[in-house]
Amino acid sequence: MILWLLLMLGAVPKTHTVEIRGMEFHPAVLTVAVGDTVLWINRDIVPHTATASSGAGWNTGQLLQNQTGRQVMTRPGATRYVCSFHPTMRGKLIVR
Amino acid sequence: MHRLLPLVVAAAFAAPLAAQTPNPAAAPDLSDPEVAHVAVTANSIDIDMAKLAQTRTTNAAVKQFAATMITDHTAVNQQAAALASELGVTPADNAVSQSLETGAKQARATLEPLHGRAFDRAYIDREVAYHQAVLDAIDKVLIPTTENAELKQLLTAVRPAVAAHLEHAKQLRTQLGPSARASK
Repeated sequence: MILWLLLMLGAVPKTHTVEIRGMEFHPAVLTVAVGDTVLWINRDIVPHTATASSGAGWNTGQLLQNQTGRQVMTRPGATRYVCSFHPTMRGKLIVR
Repeated sequence: MHRLLPLVVAAAFAAPLAAQTPNPAAAPDLSDPEVAHVAVTANSIDIDMAKLAQTRTTNAAVKQFAATMITDHTAVNQQAAALASELGVTPADNAVSQSLETGAKQARATLEPLHGRAFDRAYIDREVAYHQAVLDAIDKVLIPTTENAELKQLLTAVRPAVAAHLEHAKQLRTQLGPSARASK
């Protein structure tokens, strides 16, 4: 019951998954709440990163095939991010 | 059809500094071991070219691009080797692979004497042309020719990386400005 109440109030942090496949982030744009975790999983053969382009300062580091990286979103705002190896790969996180 | 094979893919790969488009009407008949050999050769050539670039360039963006080429094409070749081993297939040398090697030697001979910005521009021009040719070959020759489902799946999985490399190279070409050839 308590868990249900917390869920209803949106108080329990969630984990959101971004799949990296075909040299793209899926979904490319993701909206999460402050305190939520974003988990990236690389399904491609080649290594990738998810690296914040601006002041957010987070970076998963290199993710080999099927490796995951995670980041807790602590501050509200919109952040664009890229793969530092492949600048044509772009994503956006909106933290509310 | 098979005798057209060297012409078709040589047109796609052999000219080292010029973008060429293979003739889709003349898709050659490669065996799966030959396709595997072509794929491994194409990756190895780009790795070698990137290693040359790393010794020549002082441009951070070009150096990063070259590092990515080494990492990515090495990863693809490792997957190709693992798949070939799993399938019990020995990649078979063939006229396409040989034409790739010939084109690579020509490209290297063109790039070797260059330094600084002239090298960067020539290398990136070459990477644009090479990845465009590889992309065309994947679409028009390698995937249509391959019979084994897993090998076809690997080629299909590699295609987006080649396309991303092509776009990355085009971005760098714009950043570097017109090449010496184009600006004459």
